Formats: sequence, structure tokens, C-alpha cells
Amino acid sequence: MNGWTGHFLRVNLSTQTYKKESFSEEFARKWVGGRGFAAKILYDELEPGIDPLGPENKLIVALGPIAGIPAPNTGKTVVAAKSPITGGYGDGNLGSRVTEHLRKSGYDALIVEGRAERPTMLYVEDDKVEFLPASEVWGKGTYETNAWIYAKYGKGVGVLNIGQAGENLVRYAVVRSLEGRAGGRPGMGAVMGSKLLKAIVVKGSRPIPQADPPAMKKMGTEDLRHVHEIDKESGWSVQSTTGVLAWCNEVAALPVRNFRKTHHPEAWKVDGERLNDARIATYGCPNCTMRCGITIHDTAGRESELDYENIGLLGPNLEIFDLPRVGDLNYMCDDYGIDTMSGGCVLSFYADAIDHGAVQGDLKFGDADKFKEVLRKIALREGDVGRLLGEGSLRASRAIGKGSEAYAMQVKGLEVAAYNCKFIPGMALAFGVSPIGAHHKESWVITFELKQTSRESYGAEKAHKVIELQRIRGGLFEYLVSCRFPWIELGWSLENYPKYFNAVTGLDWTLDDFWTVSDRIYSLIKLFWLREFPGTDRRLDYPPAVWFDPANADTEGPIAGQVLEYEKYDGLLQHYYDIRGYDRRGIPTRATLDRLGLATEAAAAEKRGKLT
Amino acid sequence: MKVVVKLIGPFIRALGFSEKEMDVPPGTTAETLVRLVDLPASRPRIITRNGRAIAPGEAIEAGDRVVISPIYSGG
Repeated sequence: MNGWTGHFLRVNLSTQTYKKESFSEEFARKWVGGRGFAAKILYDELEPGIDPLGPENKLIVALGPIAGIPAPNTGKTVVAAKSPITGGYGDGNLGSRVTEHLRKSGYDALIVEGRAERPTMLYVEDDKVEFLPASEVWGKGTYETNAWIYAKYGKGVGVLNIGQAGENLVRYAVVRSLEGRAGGRPGMGAVMGSKLLKAIVVKGSRPIPQADPPAMKKMGTEDLRHVHEIDKESGWSVQSTTGVLAWCNEVAALPVRNFRKTHHPEAWKVDGERLNDARIATYGCPNCTMRCGITIHDTAGRESELDYENIGLLGPNLEIFDLPRVGDLNYMCDDYGIDTMSGGCVLSFYADAIDHGAVQGDLKFGDADKFKEVLRKIALREGDVGRLLGEGSLRASRAIGKGSEAYAMQVKGLEVAAYNCKFIPGMALAFGVSPIGAHHKESWVITFELKQTSRESYGAEKAHKVIELQRIRGGLFEYLVSCRFPWIELGWSLENYPKYFNAVTGLDWTLDDFWTVSDRIYSLIKLFWLREFPGTDRRLDYPPAVWFDPANADTEGPIAGQVLEYEKYDGLLQHYYDIRGYDRRGIPTRATLDRLGLATEAAAAEKRGKLT
Repeated sequence: MKVVVKLIGPFIRALGFSEKEMDVPPGTTAETLVRLVDLPASRPRIITRNGRAIAPGEAIEAGDRVVISPIYSGG
């Protein structure tokens, strides 16, 4: 089998055993890799209703056929599990040398089962698997843990690790890799922590099987250079992802004060221009052509790596307009292993709840030192505040009550990324129907809404666009596995991806073949949710209530007086379901499942929930 | 008439300014303004006027804040 190693590595931390398993070419073609492999394995192997933080949950590290191959931005790894924060399917991707090393060890995925008796580091080197003690770094942050690992094995190995937040089961703890920030927003770090798995270290030495290695090498090497040249010419990397901050502020899409406001006169102080001025270094993932990780000094002089999402949610969203202070919170999140997006939303929710008298406290928007103190308590689960907020904004709001659930900025339990959709219906839909909760990685349609149609529209064109982008962003790039940035930010043609795929697999796929795989994976993930929540309905796909609240409308600026409207949003959601072939609950119909080759999976779903 | 022009992201380096007040003739459209600031026609862009997206032929009025941005795609 070319393009795939044809093997998974299954390890059990409870029994400290492992085995190399084969998968068929039919399986590979049906699910391709990355998110596809992860969703299928978790669907087949997890009993519905299990505790995501119990030993029954499984952590999947999954790669795709072009992952780790020298070609533009192929250094990504997918991490997945049943999510502790949503209770549904959860995953994320991050740049890591694990990508290349796991494939060179001969595996397309790692399946981690059980729970270790004591803090453990899993070491994989080709056929060798070791369960090593990690008590020495248990309780340490991700930077110190990574340094400890590098001291043992050198800097060339692949590393995934967690900080104190993962150990302490903060439900939005992430997995970290120093070569590409963090991944697994829906609590993949907490799943590692629940297994007492501090780190995964991988070193591989074998060639990755490819149909035509010389052709792929030539094409990949030329394209690496080409995409890098496009980036230099366009100037995208000067501000990287943070260029969009100033624009969001202009068009009333920036999260300010727990998303209560959409723009702020001081936002320029933390925008991409200021970040570029403060830059001390730039980092990227393996095989990156357009490095997006810009570091600055925080107030303690530490290197803090920022992008748009973490500035947006740890800056304006908390009414902090000072980059080094934003850098403080960001560094803490990275070191503790807390998702910066959820972390920012949880902090802003708590300040908002205090501001609205739902809970007593002295935390105020703009008070950076106080936010740091609360963040530390969350990571260490210290005191009532740390215990409460470590659960995420939805659970915290349910504990607090007094109407606070309306402004817990989340969908399905996962906090909203840094785009304020108070009056951006299509993007609100994108967050609503994201299969893992409110993540922007699945679909992002704001410029389409403003430029190609109208902001006010709730028409089917927006549902079509959300689906088109889900097939590409949440589909293609998540199962091949590769970073989407060359395509979305530099216009690198999508047609390159079938070329890479065909060169490594020897197949002859077109983009249409990929869209079928994307739809299959999205439908399978829907079945995962159905099994976990058999009484599910379309309200699971609604964005936060505060975006519909006229009392929350802007009083000035481009969207003054305007908020989302329930009836119209529901109509837009129905367009989405109709195009997808889902029923009124948002569950794929039997006909849709049959068309996508999911009859077996449908039968499994029917043991827990109803299909129509 | 006077308008404020604000550039976003890579356009700042390309055109050499971030934000400035410009004196433009009445009837100036969004696309005319793009030519006045020397943004190459080949650069895809979205233009907003006081926070609302506008078509290339739409006229700009005195006191407007016009933002010229690359087409971002949400990271």
C-alpha cells in the first residue's frame, strides 16, 4: 500500500502493552487519514456514555497520506478523543515533529488506551515502545517538560506534552508541541492528563511509503520554495494571522468585553502592526513556508508566541490593550497547557458574570494582574474559582445560574473563537454547525458575507458557502493532514492537493473524490453526537443567546441596533440541513448515510438514537 | 473633500502608510480611491466605508472612513 504505512500502533497504559495493527487499503481509501481515521476509530471503539476523563476513553494521534512528506506545510498532527468539555467528538491539529517521526516509525496513527499507574512518558522509536517514568516533570509546565525531553533525546525528536492544566483535568487543556503551539481545544490535554500521560516522544528512521518518491520529492521541494516566495511577495507573514485584528475592529467583528462589544478605540494598540514592531522572533511548524508564530517579550521578559486568536481573546475580549500583558496571559496558557481561546472566553465570562451581579468577586475587565491570578487558579484547580472555571464556561454558567448561560460564549460547550458574530449570520452558522463546537477551523465566511452577499442575508448562499469550506478546511486539510494556510491566505491552488495525494498513493483522485470523504466524516461525527445525546435537537447547533439579545446590540458603529434574529437563524440552519441531507434535528438521514457508505455505522447509531 | 483611508495588513508595507487623511474630489468612488493610493489592481481586496462593505463603483462622501483590506480567510 503506497501513501500509507498500513499500520496503527495501539498502546495500553494500564497493562503497559502494545501491538502493531494493520488496516486495509479499503479502510484507507474510505477514511484517508487524520480526522477520518480518528473519527472512525473512536466511533467503532468507544462505548457511548463513557466518561471522557476515564480510562475507557482513547487518545488518537492520527496522520494522513501527505503528512510529513516534504511539501508545503505538511507538518501537522491530529489529536482526538471523546471531548471532556463537549461530551461529543473532539479533535484538533498542531504542528509537530511527531508527524514525520510517527510515520517514519511505520504508523499512520497511535491509539492510546487505559490509564497509567503513575506519571508516564510514552517513547516510540520504530518498532520499540517504552513506558517511562515522568514523575520528575509531573507538575511542571510544558516548557520545562519539553526542555527535560530535549535534554534526554535531543531537539530532533517529535514531542507532544501537557502542562499542569492537563494534569489537573481542566476541560479545555490542550496538547502542546514546541514546534507548533497547541492543538486539541476540546480538552485533548485533559484526556492525556486523565491517563497520567505527560508526554509522547517519537523518533522514526524508515522511509514513508510512496508510489513515486522522486516525483513527489521534485514537486514538493519546488512547491515549498514557490509558496515561500508567494508569501514573501505578498507580505502576509509581516503580520501573519494578526493582520485581521484591525479589520475585525473596523467591521464590528472583534470580541470585546466578553463579546458584548464589537470594536474598541484602543484595539490598534494590540494589532498586527504593533505586534510586528514588538517581534523578537518568528516560529513555524515543520515544512512551513509562511511562519505565523510571532513572539514578543511579555512583562517578565519571556518569549510569548502570539497569533490573532489569542490576542483577540486574551486582549480586547478582556479589555487589555497592552501587548506584553496579553503576552503574559498567553505565555501562562501555553506553559500550563490551557487553550488560549477557551481560556480567554472563560476569563471574560467570569468577569461578565461579576459585572452583571450573577456572582460575587473583584475581577474587572482590564485588570490584567487579576486575570493572571484567576488563570493560575484555573490551571492548578485552586479554590472554588479554580474548580468552577476549570470546567469551562457552559458548566460554570449552569452552576452560577441567574441567566449567565446566555453569555457563556460557547457552542456545544466549546468556547467561541475570536470572531464576534453578534450580527454576522453566516459565521454564526459556521460556529453553530462546527462538529466539535465553536471552532473557526471548520469554516470561516466573514469576507464572503460582507463582499459577495450582504451581512443582513440569511439566505441559502451562506449555508452553501459554510459547507463548501467545511469540505475543504474541516475535511480535506484535516484528513490529508496538512495546514490550510497556503490555500486560504496565499491562494495556493487546491488542485495541488490531489497532485500530492496521487503522487504518494498512486491513485487518481480528483477534488470531487475528496468532498465525498469530507461529507462521510462529517456525517459520522454527527452519528457520534447522536449516540452520546440521543435526545439531540437543532438547538445544539445554535450560537450563544446573547448574540440574539436586542439589549446587547451595539449603540454605535456599523451594526448599531442590529443582532441576530432567532427565526431567521433557524431558517439559515434549515438551509444547511437541507443541503447536507440532514433531518430537522441536524442528524443525517438514512438516505444520506447510505449514499455515503455508512450503513454499518447507521446500524450502530440506531442502538442508541433514532434515524429518519 | 477629506476622507480617512486606512490600510490593513500587507497593504501597509506595500503602500508605505497605515492610515492618513486624503483630499479627494467629490464623486470619488471606492475604485478610484484604490488607484489614488496606488494599490495594484492585481491585489484582491475588500473595501469598507464606515464599516460597511461597498462595491467598487460606490461613491465616497466627505468625512468617510474607508478601509482597504486584503481578503482574509480566518486563519
